[in-house]
Amino acid sequence: MHISEGVLSAPVLVSGAVIAVAGCAIGLKKIDYDHIVHVAMLAAVFFVASLIHVNIGPSSAHLILNGIIGLLLGFAAFPAIFIALLLQAVFFQYGGLTVLGANVVIMALPAVMVHYLFLPLLGKSPRLSIAAGALSGAGAIFLSSLILSAALWLTEKNFFETCVLVMAANIPIMIIEGIVTGFCVTFLLKVYPEIIPGQKNGNTSDRKSRIEKGQKNEV
Amino acid sequence: MKYKALWVLCVLICLVAAKDVSAHKVIVFAWVEDGMIHTESSFGSKKKAKDCPIQVIDEKGTVVHEGVTDDQGNYVFKIPDQVDSDLVIRLDAGTGHSATWKLSHDELVTPGDENHLAASMEEKQKFESGPSPLKIMGGIGIIFLLALLTGYLRKKKKTHD
Repeated sequence: MHISEGVLSAPVLVSGAVIAVAGCAIGLKKIDYDHIVHVAMLAAVFFVASLIHVNIGPSSAHLILNGIIGLLLGFAAFPAIFIALLLQAVFFQYGGLTVLGANVVIMALPAVMVHYLFLPLLGKSPRLSIAAGALSGAGAIFLSSLILSAALWLTEKNFFETCVLVMAANIPIMIIEGIVTGFCVTFLLKVYPEIIPGQKNGNTSDRKSRIEKGQKNEV
Repeated sequence: MKYKALWVLCVLICLVAAKDVSAHKVIVFAWVEDGMIHTESSFGSKKKAKDCPIQVIDEKGTVVHEGVTDDQGNYVFKIPDQVDSDLVIRLDAGTGHSATWKLSHDELVTPGDENHLAASMEEKQKFESGPSPLKIMGGIGIIFLLALLTGYLRKKKKTHD
């Protein structure tokens, strides 16, 4: 999903950088003090998940996890994904620095979109939650593929052909991410619902509520 | 039980179907041997870039040669005639993935000795090596350091207000 250096035209790179900076600014503004550790944790997950390639026989696959990151962080996914991609570009030469903005938009914008599309469905019923989680995972990859195709189209002008190639290459990842995200959401709803915005105490106040609970127990 | 089997089946199908999914790091490596330019293209050391177009571009930006990699990600061709500049080998691995490798003019006109070839191979291995655990841990460390710094600055700001 990382676009390499030298592929996109200058206007696409500049537009990507501008959108990425705007997204990061909004994201940073929206992160509150209690939420910072979650953002760092998910940025680290994204950083590592993109590195792990699972080889089984002749095949190989890797996770992106922008769906679950978007569900949990909303706009804060922008700075989280930006930092992870920046470190990947510097340390491992994945993607590149000039194309960083475009890569951030390709992975973070769908994350924010699935947050607003599927978060309201979580916690309503177990089946709906797993479906919403799975759709978030698969949907984020689908939207990322669409933005990637558009970025390549704006450079090469053959949208349909590019789109078909990108979608075909990413269908297996969509399905894997759908399954993984569906399970992750179900697991988190059971063991740590506070991390999901809007669930029980929501992630912005879970620390305060725990402190309050602790104080009550002490009394 | 029926559903569990279905899940396992889905995962297996995906993993088998995922064989053509491109990885992040695209590499093309080239060296000169016996008057021929040898190229090797891969997505990291194990996964080869098969059937990918290769372009050879001179300093003026003119494409002087074109070809396609084989099943092993290799492509070998004769040094183009009348080359008077460095050459850039450009691999197009599709869907936004590309890589380049520069061959200097000296390398093209001087017959390569064994030492030079060994140095090139060492460079290739270094280039193809995967991420080291130290770099991965370093990256995670930097992320948490940044989070600590942001937290500290936010707290300081709150205290000021």
